[in-house]
Amino acid sequence: MNNSSPNILDIKNIEVRYDNVILALHDVSLKVPKGKVVALLGANGAGKSTTLKAVSTMLASERGKVTKGSIDYDGNSVEKQTPSQMVGLGMVQVLEGRRCFGHLTVEENIISGAYSRKLSKGDINQELEKIYTYFIRLKERRKSQAAFTSGGEQQMIAVARAMMAKPKMLLLDEPTMGLAPQLVAEIFNIVKELNQKEEVSILLAEQNTNIALKNSDYGYIIETGKVMLEGTAQSLLNDDKVKELYLGISKKGRKNFRDVLKDESLNKRSN
Amino acid sequence: MANELLFFMEVLVGGLLAGTMYSLVALGFVLIFKASATFNFSQGAMVFFSVLAFCGFMQDFNIPFVLAFILAALLMVVVGLCTERFVLRPLMNASEDTVLMATIGLGYVLEGLAQAAWGVEVRRLDLGIGDFPVPWIADNLKLFISALDITAGLVAALMIIGLFLLFKYTKIGLGLRAVADDAGAASSIGIPLKHIMLLVWSAAGVVALVAGCMWGARAGVQFALVDLALKALPVLIIGGFSSIPGAIVGGLIIGAVEKVLEVYIGPFFGGAIEGWAPYVLAIFFLLYRPEGLFGEKIIRRV
Repeated sequence: MNNSSPNILDIKNIEVRYDNVILALHDVSLKVPKGKVVALLGANGAGKSTTLKAVSTMLASERGKVTKGSIDYDGNSVEKQTPSQMVGLGMVQVLEGRRCFGHLTVEENIISGAYSRKLSKGDINQELEKIYTYFIRLKERRKSQAAFTSGGEQQMIAVARAMMAKPKMLLLDEPTMGLAPQLVAEIFNIVKELNQKEEVSILLAEQNTNIALKNSDYGYIIETGKVMLEGTAQSLLNDDKVKELYLGISKKGRKNFRDVLKDESLNKRSN
Repeated sequence: MANELLFFMEVLVGGLLAGTMYSLVALGFVLIFKASATFNFSQGAMVFFSVLAFCGFMQDFNIPFVLAFILAALLMVVVGLCTERFVLRPLMNASEDTVLMATIGLGYVLEGLAQAAWGVEVRRLDLGIGDFPVPWIADNLKLFISALDITAGLVAALMIIGLFLLFKYTKIGLGLRAVADDAGAASSIGIPLKHIMLLVWSAAGVVALVAGCMWGARAGVQFALVDLALKALPVLIIGGFSSIPGAIVGGLIIGAVEKVLEVYIGPFFGGAIEGWAPYVLAIFFLLYRPEGLFGEKIIRRV
């Protein structure tokens, strides 16, 4: 037990394989300081979800395994833990694609997040009211069947459900996928608020580099299973490579994909 | 005229009550389907296994009725425990089809074990409830309705109410429904899948025991009980695989329809149509309402 460490999560040089063969992560190291928001950025298939699942131990249910390196959460190695034990230790993952319980009502979905805690009916209602202060929109829709709510509402349900487990740390996997810009901003506002008021540390996997960095303290960029770049959110936002590759902004101004391809073909010819 | 109506009522009520016996078997399927989205082919074998063990405890070891029932119920919990540990857990990442095949295998194992342990002869099970018309009803309402049918109806009603309350209002019920919707998401928020599976299979085992007692008392405790499971199939198709009320209503419909058809239309086909009439009805449901009457609609947002 080493609770004096400033980091709630410490991943050291992990390698992850699926089916003992497919190498998904080569060498990923990252730290999440207590109470901070850390962004994990990268394109599709870079290994963001795999990293999060390695932390929450959900990998096992997808035949994945951490084959090298170590993951320490709050002074414990996560190696021998099961997902429900991790939830007990205060680490909850919000899976990619929201994954609400479609046939349950909004409120039942949220309450189900408290399954791992021994709470009385009164305690649950109290917690529920507190959660609703962050997710006002969900209170209005509490009796609706979750499958019939909008994408943004479903994402809120998924985060609210995770918060019912009273986490010390949240792993958010692409919380803004497929949402309208206004909702993206709303979700990030809630996430920030939870981080500040409930003191939840957050590891956030996102493809939306710009808004993710603007709402984080620190960022890591991974490509094909390797950390390529890391730094404070501010330094990454100002980094030329990040600007060009992830934000679509070059020194010359905005750049689109066609320009990048043109540049590449020019480079090839000159070689 | 009055006599014909009375006769029809008798056929109908008899059919409805007999239908609750199907409902009891179907209930076990629904429980497991809800949690693991798998049709449990071993449910019939579980019925046979549990009630044979119950008879064995009473007749071979002279254990009193109530104690034997409790022992048999405990045995089904052990079966649930072993199923979770040795069948479901190793197949955790396998497809639903694989689990389906495994339940067929599990069925054969249970049949074999039951017969190895308790022998192959047909046993008589006396619940102290006769399978003959209740005199009071026969005298006053002029309907001939079996006491066993009435008991089965009452037992089925009690179990439905119990299970409904369990699913709707308890924490475990909420966990069960969550797992049924999305096992991965349920596990991500700390609902232990192992416990849920164990619970569901044990509950299905106890439901199988109750169904087995009713059927055993009527038809004798014998290997043919395994095939009862097949009668639950049209019940489930009509009621919906994931619905407890559906299992009941489906059972009632099958029971009533097969009796009424047998009596009124059967003679034109040379009788014995109750064996296949339910399946014809099931085919119509599959064509026009595949989720059944009460099944959860496949919700798809566009």
